[in-house]
Amino acid sequence: MAFSLTVNGHRHTVDVDPDTPLLWVVRDEIGLKGTKFGCGAGLCGACTVHVNGQPARSCSTPIELVDGADITTIEGLETEGRLHPLQQAWIDEGVPQCGYCQSGQIMTAAHLLANNASPSRDEIVTAMTGNLCRCGTYARIVAAVEAVAGGVGQYEPAPEDA
Amino acid sequence: MTMNRRDFLKVSTGASGSLILAVSIPGCASIQTGFEPESGEWKPDVWLELSRDDDIVFTLARVEMGQGAYTGLTTLIAEELDVDPARIIVKFAPVAPEYRNPLFGLQLTGASTSLATSWKPLREAGASARQMLVLAAARVWEVNASDCTTQDGRVVHPNGIDSLRYGQLVELADKEVIRGDVALKPKSEWKYIGRQAGKLDAHAKVTGKAVYGIDVELPDMVYAVMTRSPRHGGVAKDFNRRDVIGLPGVQDAFITERGVAVVANSYWQARKAQQALQVDWDMTGALDTSTEQVLEGYRRAASDDPGVKERTEGSVNKAAEQAEKVVEAEYEQPYLAHATMEPMNATAWYHDGQMEVWAPTQAPDLGRIAAARHSDLSPGDVTIHTTFLGGGFGRRLTQDYIEEAAAVAYQLKVPVKLIWSREEDTRHGFLRPAMLHRMKGSLAEGQLTGWQHQIVGPQILDWYVRNAAPAQYPWAPKFLYDTLGKVGLMAEGIATPKDISAIEGAVGYPYQVPNISVRHTHTDPGVPITWWRSVGYSHNGFAVETFMDELAHESGEDPVQFRQRMLDSEPRHREVLERAARLAGWGESAPEGRARGMALFKSFGTYVAQVVEAGVENGEIKVYKVTCSVDCGQVVNPRIVEDQIAGGILFGLTAALYGEINFDQGEIRQSNFHDYRLLQLHQAPKVVVDIVDSNAEPTGVGEPGVPPVIPALGNALFALTGKRQRRLPLTA
Repeated sequence: MAFSLTVNGHRHTVDVDPDTPLLWVVRDEIGLKGTKFGCGAGLCGACTVHVNGQPARSCSTPIELVDGADITTIEGLETEGRLHPLQQAWIDEGVPQCGYCQSGQIMTAAHLLANNASPSRDEIVTAMTGNLCRCGTYARIVAAVEAVAGGVGQYEPAPEDA
Repeated sequence: MTMNRRDFLKVSTGASGSLILAVSIPGCASIQTGFEPESGEWKPDVWLELSRDDDIVFTLARVEMGQGAYTGLTTLIAEELDVDPARIIVKFAPVAPEYRNPLFGLQLTGASTSLATSWKPLREAGASARQMLVLAAARVWEVNASDCTTQDGRVVHPNGIDSLRYGQLVELADKEVIRGDVALKPKSEWKYIGRQAGKLDAHAKVTGKAVYGIDVELPDMVYAVMTRSPRHGGVAKDFNRRDVIGLPGVQDAFITERGVAVVANSYWQARKAQQALQVDWDMTGALDTSTEQVLEGYRRAASDDPGVKERTEGSVNKAAEQAEKVVEAEYEQPYLAHATMEPMNATAWYHDGQMEVWAPTQAPDLGRIAAARHSDLSPGDVTIHTTFLGGGFGRRLTQDYIEEAAAVAYQLKVPVKLIWSREEDTRHGFLRPAMLHRMKGSLAEGQLTGWQHQIVGPQILDWYVRNAAPAQYPWAPKFLYDTLGKVGLMAEGIATPKDISAIEGAVGYPYQVPNISVRHTHTDPGVPITWWRSVGYSHNGFAVETFMDELAHESGEDPVQFRQRMLDSEPRHREVLERAARLAGWGESAPEGRARGMALFKSFGTYVAQVVEAGVENGEIKVYKVTCSVDCGQVVNPRIVEDQIAGGILFGLTAALYGEINFDQGEIRQSNFHDYRLLQLHQAPKVVVDIVDSNAEPTGVGEPGVPPVIPALGNALFALTGKRQRRLPLTA
């Protein structure tokens, strides 16, 4: 069955089964491999993309539900060859270890900052906690988001006297 | 001594200690070095390639799975070559004897050895290449080489003005011969070691451009999924092929040694067709155990067989007889899965009598054996292309996923990508073994006079030798593979390295106690096992450091002081212990509702002390803060050391709080991240990593952060509640 999508500003028509998850369409039909498969059940966030500006778990989003939608993936964050400020902050902070979950982490953070330019520590933690990282890069993730949000860049999750 | 390129190569790969199993094979050098006029590229050694255009390519003989070898090892060679590490193009090594890990005689990345084993050879390689470039420039200028200097990819004339790019010198440099030993830079002249803070692979990883195994794309590629026996050891006899083969996109379905493969045009079509599969399994000899039975079996074994003596000092029996108090405890640890974020996968293509495999593997040479086993090819016909790894943690040292992709590709003769689902990854992996520990301590006049530790469980070499032994002898005919495996096991500790996977961290008990006995009761319930981040240290750390806490409590002494007193001849242990205690405010009272616990543990040559501050909130364990002091010798990249230690702490906390793979009649109960949980961001404690400034040889950091955090948390909970934690995962 044919579906059409706009991915990172480019229009694509794909012919796949209607229940095919958006993840596999983006990766294998359109060829953008930056979005990752982690759990297939919406539990880890490695596959996070933006669908019409909202973060979505592409592994659990059937293509038939997003026909005609505007999709942004990690490859679409750069503008005119310039990195998104979050990508730059991720490099400066040295966030990635194995790196596999980081596309999803950055896409979640990008949505947060697009809607809230100066999130509080709590808002960052709440927004990011659904994205799993097995290497344990969480503290650097918060620091990188805060660096872009104009925060202090030093992550101290639980105040000493909480 | 006159040293040319080839001699240098031998020295650097042969200076590897006594653990090499592989015999030296004449003519085994497989990487051509020298200058290639057509391409204008000069390979001074097996790692470096410098071109006339000033491209510098470094072949990374270890894989990158998040542990930072990509940046760390590049920094070593860049420092001595005198170029900015960011300028160097890094490529992953092919399978070749030159790229073996000298500690194992295998091309594997594990045991936190990448930096330690590369520290000298890579710096020497960089220094030698630089020296040859300097000699060439000196010859051009007719000046003394010792008066020339280098600066970021150029040789500078003694006049300080003229210079030549390395690229201009490559052809001439190839003809130079280094006389005498090559000098390494003194620490005071380092520009990058100890300072390089950026990660060279970060850009690729934040833009989605880094290629992991799962991202490999080949023309006309098809997708395969494998249905494995729900119980390990079951064999597929038959299946409803006719029902499956007609489903949309399905190209083929057939039985392999590993299970039933379904191949389709897309991953999703293969996955959907798999739902329709009905397999008739022969379960004769399949695993039929439960975790409870495994542990019951361990207890029986522990009572029936005192085990092999691994360390004996004095007489623990005499110590017990003369003790005022004898303390006994039994600790249990469950099976654990690795849960790498990138599920197991591999891509294989059999064409022109050759097999090419693209895989995120920690051991490419074992991958080659795995692929050869499942085809009529010999290892020399198999090429392994290593990709970035979306996590390893030891899981990717076992090559079952390559066996599967190779078996399917061999049959189909088109490129095949085989991907595991998360559920398959959780249920069909190789696990950290469940273990049992029996401890007995004797206390007399306030002193610990006897330490008895009986470790009960399997050892990993039994499972690993199957592909590891042939990988060390890739020229051996395949019919000998099983024999090689058996010989490898029989010769363990004699011709092959002793398997210390069950006892590491227990035999190295650092405290000065007059009577010590460490024994291993070897019993294997048949559950597939492999290396898991920090391996034996992961369970021995919990046993040793929890029992030390119990003994401190029983003798009425502060746990830090209790340990300190017994570490007079272990200054590096003492230092990290004292630093962590001081930094964490040990001795001061913890905030209301919280308590502190500590553990001190050396693994992979690295000394780590941790203090955990924890409480219980709404019936759940809450970890507030982990303070960690680490001595890993000379630091190459401070940020990576901090990340690896902090990451290891979260990895250990995940195991301490949630980690449990359970068997029920041979089947694993857990399946995905909802029932095999990982620590989430909002649960992550504040982690303070304090690194000891040291000039000692660098040691590993990928694993040593893991072991101590588990007992330190258990000890904190004991301090809080008075309830001793003797079984993992911990309970509130």
